[in-house]
Amino acid sequence: MPVRRLQIWAVSALPCRVIRAMIRFENVTKVYDQTARPALDDVSLEIDRGEFAFLVGASGSGKSTFLRLVLKEDRASSGAVYVAGQNVAKISSWRVPRLRRGIGVVFQDFRLLPQKSVFANVAFAMQVIGKSRSVIRDTVPEVLKTVGLEGKENRLPHELSGGEQQRVAIARAVVNRPGILLADEPTGNLDPTTSMGIMGVLDKINQNGTTVVMATHDDDIVNEMRKRVVELRNGIVIRDEAKALYTSMIPVVGQSRRLRDASGRDESQPPASGERNPGVGEEQR
Amino acid sequence: MRIAFVLGEIGSGLRRNVSMVVSVILVTFVSLTFVGAAGMLQLQINQMKGYWYDKVQVAIFLCSDGSTAAGCATGPVTPEQQDNLQTLLESPAVAQYVNDFQFESKEDAYKHFKEQFSNSPIVDSVTPDQLPSSFRINMKDPEKYQIISETFSSQPGVETVIDQRQLLERLFSAMNAASLVAVSIAGVMIICAILLIATTIRLSAFSRRRETGIMRLVGASKIVIQLPFILEGVIAAVIGAALASGTLWAVAHFFLGEYLSKQYPDTAFISPGQTLILAPALLILGGSLAGISSLLTLRRYLKV
Ligand SMILES: Nc1ncnc2c1ncn2[C@@H]1O[C@H](COP(=O)(O)OP(=O)(O)OP(=O)(O)O)[C@@H](O)[C@H]1O
Ligand SMILES: [Mg+2]
Repeated sequence: MPVRRLQIWAVSALPCRVIRAMIRFENVTKVYDQTARPALDDVSLEIDRGEFAFLVGASGSGKSTFLRLVLKEDRASSGAVYVAGQNVAKISSWRVPRLRRGIGVVFQDFRLLPQKSVFANVAFAMQVIGKSRSVIRDTVPEVLKTVGLEGKENRLPHELSGGEQQRVAIARAVVNRPGILLADEPTGNLDPTTSMGIMGVLDKINQNGTTVVMATHDDDIVNEMRKRVVELRNGIVIRDEAKALYTSMIPVVGQSRRLRDASGRDESQPPASGERNPGVGEEQR
Repeated sequence: MRIAFVLGEIGSGLRRNVSMVVSVILVTFVSLTFVGAAGMLQLQINQMKGYWYDKVQVAIFLCSDGSTAAGCATGPVTPEQQDNLQTLLESPAVAQYVNDFQFESKEDAYKHFKEQFSNSPIVDSVTPDQLPSSFRINMKDPEKYQIISETFSSQPGVETVIDQRQLLERLFSAMNAASLVAVSIAGVMIICAILLIATTIRLSAFSRRRETGIMRLVGASKIVIQLPFILEGVIAAVIGAALASGTLWAVAHFFLGEYLSKQYPDTAFISPGQTLILAPALLILGGSLAGISSLLTLRRYLKV
């Protein structure tokens, strides 16, 4: 791999024993509004180090809420969220920035700074955490190369296509070498071809060792990538399937019932739905 | 790097809200000028008290050349008259009201005069024989002034008996009232300043929510995110405080020093240098007001 340096292991100080689950939800419920149904309802799942997982489901099913809980943007109403083995509820507020340095985030709307050049937008993420000028000078071009933006360092965001802007946002998210990359509908504003380009970048970052969790509505992409798919409906995990498609091949029975079918592990078989045993990851590289 | 970053952010913040920043500067300037004016009045009172207050309460001025009072029919006070007055002061009838007394000769009077009016041009035009000699009496009970006045006013060789304390107190209470007014105006203006700083910081935080949102996501510390906003308010307020200090100095220099001291040559005004001791207090007051009000605003409007 050209960018070995992107390989970052720990989100923060890790105990010596190796923690395989990068993200672990234990019976997590999130209630925003007491009168409405929970945004997440008793969700338990694990995402292993180095894994690539899609989070799918209808609008309002709780995908963004899941990502917000990982970032400690919100606190779970009950249950526990572990990131790199650390219970985020136990992280004191002044240590939250350290948690977030270990997590890169990308959004549908790119969120670039319009007056700053491509280089400055990426450098911004390093400046604000106090990286030295020389480190920034060395790292930013390297990361821009990874996302395929060589030679466009001095452009302003409005001089770039949507796909290129999203690449800048991805570069910014990974420039501090986080262990986790969260992407909330990163291809939501892009056409299919451009989206596939972005997926290529995310896949490359994933292959460099970063755990990637991507919330999406884009069935083509999910079907193309054949990665793990976690499907939410009304805050409940109704499917958790390895190397899966956007829609389950078998009908989903009941909304509140977790499916107990064994999933098809054989690659030659068409992917089947089934519950993914928490803690048993089968996509080890 | 982080310092350079914070400084850059402050610079861009100040440029982006020029009009708000200017209004913060002006409001803190005006409010702190009133605070400073109250301070100056107190300094002026202390200046006057320092010289007179506990030194003397009642002064018996003796006749000198050109005195026209009834007791001065025989011309300037003679040594016998002076001795008689001293005997009277020491007599039990009077002594029971007196703590102690001193005789101030013309030369002493001139010396004190020079000390007191060192800031005033009148010093050059006065000679020792223009100033009357006097007995300076420190009363046990200042309220008993009337007894001394009645006893001595009609004595030969006495020009006049003055209760200096009473004169001063009238002046001081006027000055105290003025400084109270200044403090009240300052209080209202400071509330304005706090609200304006809070609004400015809020707008500033709003206009930069994109940056701060990204900073939060990439794990910038609370200090790095908030400091530019806080310092923006503090810098504006400190500039206002510096302007206020400069104004006070200018008032002391031009108004008191060059104008009032010519109009009222026999009053000891504070020197411009003395107003500078107010400057650090104003700077700290302005800076901390802004700091606290921005911190409280950011707690509500800037999530970190
Ligand atoms: N800050 C909030 N306050 C109250 N309710 C919220 C808040 N954020 C989300 N919700 C509710 O929680 C539920 C889940 O929202 P969430 O944003 O996680 O859905 P989503 O799967 O990301 O949807 P989309 O695909 O449209 O982005 C929704 O019913 C939403 O109305
Ligand atoms: Mg969402």
